[in-house]
Amino acid sequence: MKTSTKNRIKAKERIVLVGVPASPGYAMGLCHTVSTREVSITEENIPEERVATEEQYFLKILNTTTKEINQIKQVTVEKLGTEEARIFEAHLMILKDPTLVNGVLSLIQKEKKSAQWAVHFYVSSLIKQFESHTSALMKERSIDLKDLYHRLMDAFDDTGTVIIDESIKEGVILVAHELNPSTLISLNKDQVLAFATDSGGRTSHVSILARSMELPAVSGLKNVSALVRLGDNLIVDGTGGMIIINPNEADIKKYQEKLEVFKRQQRELFTMRQLEPITRDGKYVTLHANIELVSETDKVLDYGATGVGLYRSEFLFFRKGLPSFEEQVEAYSYILDNLAPHAVTIRTLDVGGDKLISEISLSNEANPFMGWRSIRVCLDHLELFRTQLKALLVANKKGNLRLLLPMISSMEELLSSKEQVKNVIHELEQEGFDCPKVELGVMIEVPAAVILADKLAKEVDFFSIGSNDLIQFTLAVDRTNEKISSMFQPHHPAVLNMIHKTVTAAHREGIPVSVCGEMASDPLSSLLLVGLGVDELSMTPWSIMECKKIIRSINFEEVREIARNVLKMNDTDTINAYLKKKYAQTIIDLGIFSYISNSDFCEISDSPLQQL
Amino acid sequence: MISKKLIVTNKFGVHARPAGMIVDITGKSKSEITIIFDGQKANAKSILNVMMLAIPPGSEVQFDIKGEDENEIMEQLEKLFNENFHEESY
Repeated sequence: MKTSTKNRIKAKERIVLVGVPASPGYAMGLCHTVSTREVSITEENIPEERVATEEQYFLKILNTTTKEINQIKQVTVEKLGTEEARIFEAHLMILKDPTLVNGVLSLIQKEKKSAQWAVHFYVSSLIKQFESHTSALMKERSIDLKDLYHRLMDAFDDTGTVIIDESIKEGVILVAHELNPSTLISLNKDQVLAFATDSGGRTSHVSILARSMELPAVSGLKNVSALVRLGDNLIVDGTGGMIIINPNEADIKKYQEKLEVFKRQQRELFTMRQLEPITRDGKYVTLHANIELVSETDKVLDYGATGVGLYRSEFLFFRKGLPSFEEQVEAYSYILDNLAPHAVTIRTLDVGGDKLISEISLSNEANPFMGWRSIRVCLDHLELFRTQLKALLVANKKGNLRLLLPMISSMEELLSSKEQVKNVIHELEQEGFDCPKVELGVMIEVPAAVILADKLAKEVDFFSIGSNDLIQFTLAVDRTNEKISSMFQPHHPAVLNMIHKTVTAAHREGIPVSVCGEMASDPLSSLLLVGLGVDELSMTPWSIMECKKIIRSINFEEVREIARNVLKMNDTDTINAYLKKKYAQTIIDLGIFSYISNSDFCEISDSPLQQL
Repeated sequence: MISKKLIVTNKFGVHARPAGMIVDITGKSKSEITIIFDGQKANAKSILNVMMLAIPPGSEVQFDIKGEDENEIMEQLEKLFNENFHEESY
């Protein structure tokens, strides 16, 4: 990255730049710029007698780079664990890859190129191939190869990768055009307080690493590396996604306070695990975790959930060949046994729509979301359905299973499914197997189920609202369609009335209602759901502590009143504005990152920004 | 020779890390192993070849294995795919 002086700001000029909040937290310190060199290597032809020397040189470079990555890998294992270190495992493999080694060697031997040019040419062309992919995901993946490229080029230059002067004692803020995962991991956290980059997004590898290292970061700042000078004062606001160059006294005071609050909140969030999810006026809201993999079982209690609100069993089926009865029993038992006596809700096979499995041939349908999917597939493939039911019932040794039927759109479907459950229980009892109690519930995700909720409620033990599908079907909006995805509105009055109707019908029969879609983990929506009388919220494990914090800060009577008012409103914008007015500040004061980092925040953040 | 189709169910497809995990298995084997995606064949023992296939989430890939330990290797690959490469599923 070239930095031209004419773009630079005047000395000590105060500038606020807004970017992407890559990793939450605040930091203040002196700026330390790092330039990722624009490597220019000239094509060099070598005489025959130098070929052997260049070959040796190349192998030596491979060796040095391998050693270096091994060191970084070691540090990563210590700091972040083996899973995070796997990326460096991949880097090491690339260095050993015969395709790479032979490709470069042949450029040296046959084309008579210098080792450095051969490596430059070969690896750059691989990067270009990656970047030519149409998928953005694959383009982003070229960063791994770029990382290796820079590392190899550095080895040629013999400059090493030490980018921070060892003599720097005070913490600095790193500013760069782009940072590589390996650079980030090799940073000394006492020296580097935070970083800011021109490029990158929230999901890039560097941002994910920064979050797991708890290093505040703002990326996507476009030209920050050209604007700042070495030694400028900087404030990095990784929570709000902005930086202040040469802050004034008021900024510094304000951010010192924010930093204090942030540190306190971090400590609190952790202690939150032991606390009960009770509102200030004593209403208990059950918090459950959504899991997709058996291996996530341990996370459930670790993150402070008191059970599983949704285990999507279809992930066992995404493979070639259906899982056997024994394999299913093993998987379900693992979750049920490990979490007993806590409730574990397991949803029966929900295939079709966007999830396809190879074994059941699902043809290309014009409208897969409204097609042959879910319970419809199960009731047409009774063997498949009964095998799963039997495995579930056998695994339910401790009686903590809650069986959840997806996509129910009619009474007949529910009754036929119940009939199957009853038959399987009967069969098992005939075989001398003692079946402990099992709770049966239905997903409320089709408008028909909402309309029939009072009838369905008489036949089941609980309801679980699948908010994503319910919104999609109620509003007739496919959110994967970019042209209309903004119409996918969880706070649309029709959606909220659907939820209200479902809760009313359930409570009349004395059964609980859970919400297990994305709505449950959105802070504003979760408040509204509690106000609407929803008894349980189920979400990804890492959202639980934040949600618990919100619940502990509110009054049930107050959110009930708010929900009553919202139900009287006619349009989404009015509802959103009302909710924000009532609760946005509370949520910001609580330091809820998931909220602050989502796009809604921009509207709210205007005010603190203007105050600066 | 044995041949099997596996589904990529992790969220980000076969990028560097999952490719490395595949090569972890194939690299140990004496068998000849080919990975086929979208009509393109590649040597499944080369991480670069596997990465360059740019396999997106939800794809079906085929493995052809020929050699003494073909069954054992296929089993390990199946397990890896079923475990989503230890990542989030999509």
